[in-house]
Amino acid sequence: MAQIVAAMAMTHSPGMTGWFTQAPKDQQELTLRATAALRERLDAARPDVLIMFSNDHLLNWPMNNMPEYTVGIADEHVGPADWFDEWLAMEKYRVAGHPALARFIVNESARRGLALSHLRDMQFDDGISVPTHYLNPDGKFQLVPITMNCTVPPIPKPSRAYEVGALLRDVVRAYPGSERVAVIATGGLSHEPGGPRYFWVDEEFDRWFLDLLARGDHVALLRECTLERMEAAGSGGTAELLAWILVLAFTRGPAEILAYMPAIAWRSGTGMVAWSALA
Amino acid sequence: MGNVERCDKTLPTNEMMYHIRKDATLRARFVSDLAAVAREFGLSPAEYEAIRDLDPRRLMDLGVHQYYVPQILRLYFGTANNSNASAALERYQRAFPEETAQALALKARLEGGR
Repeated sequence: MAQIVAAMAMTHSPGMTGWFTQAPKDQQELTLRATAALRERLDAARPDVLIMFSNDHLLNWPMNNMPEYTVGIADEHVGPADWFDEWLAMEKYRVAGHPALARFIVNESARRGLALSHLRDMQFDDGISVPTHYLNPDGKFQLVPITMNCTVPPIPKPSRAYEVGALLRDVVRAYPGSERVAVIATGGLSHEPGGPRYFWVDEEFDRWFLDLLARGDHVALLRECTLERMEAAGSGGTAELLAWILVLAFTRGPAEILAYMPAIAWRSGTGMVAWSALA
Repeated sequence: MGNVERCDKTLPTNEMMYHIRKDATLRARFVSDLAAVAREFGLSPAEYEAIRDLDPRRLMDLGVHQYYVPQILRLYFGTANNSNASAALERYQRAFPEETAQALALKARLEGGR
């Protein structure tokens, strides 16, 4: 049976690669230190596969048919999509997939009552590309990308993301192989991409949310961190934290906050966390 | 609920933007002959004019998803200089003066002296 060996979360804002040096020096340095710490944790955990939970920024699906979750099942993943490479200031990268695990996740989830869409040729925007740049730059870990909708109404509620996370945790563990798997949430913190508050971040919300993670009480977090609260802290962007809440279901106890910065130059509250105890 | 709730999922501009981001030829035509591309996708005159005028407020009032609005600006202004002193910022300052002024004041407070 597959084993879950690490859980972590980080922001994926395009500014972190596309216009990195526009942020103050201390934010640049903190980002480099915290992502190096995440890489060290991955090296210590020795995963074979990274399952990255991110969100699709209206790239893979048109609005007339937006699935809640989508799994990338390719043998090899290539990014960023053409529209994004200049924006992200990134060369094309190639990362091996794990089609057997990805296809098992799709089919076993269906047997357990969860509908997941899938794509053989998933396109990648900042959601997968930025964390890959920082955490898997040489492609040594295989990748199974899972994207979610958090920006086209109806946006799923946090309780739903946690419930899906718990089901996927059991599905991954049921995979008939000896793979070691790290789960990584990407997105957040507060931001409002393209909305009236496009150039703003909500530091108070971000610190409140990270404090909830540091307290490690999942019930309290799900009670207090409502979708309405996330939307008030930046519509259509802050709800990317649903990926963090999904990964929360793979963990127990407090998260360690490795970094937080109200990185207004990158137009997103920016943070990196890791969990020591897994559920 | 938040600003994304205002989007019209059935709006032709939202469908057009999905295709434009995937098709370089269509992107080039969009910039050189917006009127023709707008006709092909069935945009209303109001959608066409809001795009032509690059007005974020009117675009969102019509139901364009907020995420596509800076992407429409990028088609004209390119991706260079993504800083908060960009052409996109100027358009947002005009469209949302209060929100953008608050954001810039916050930026000055957070980054002042660094």
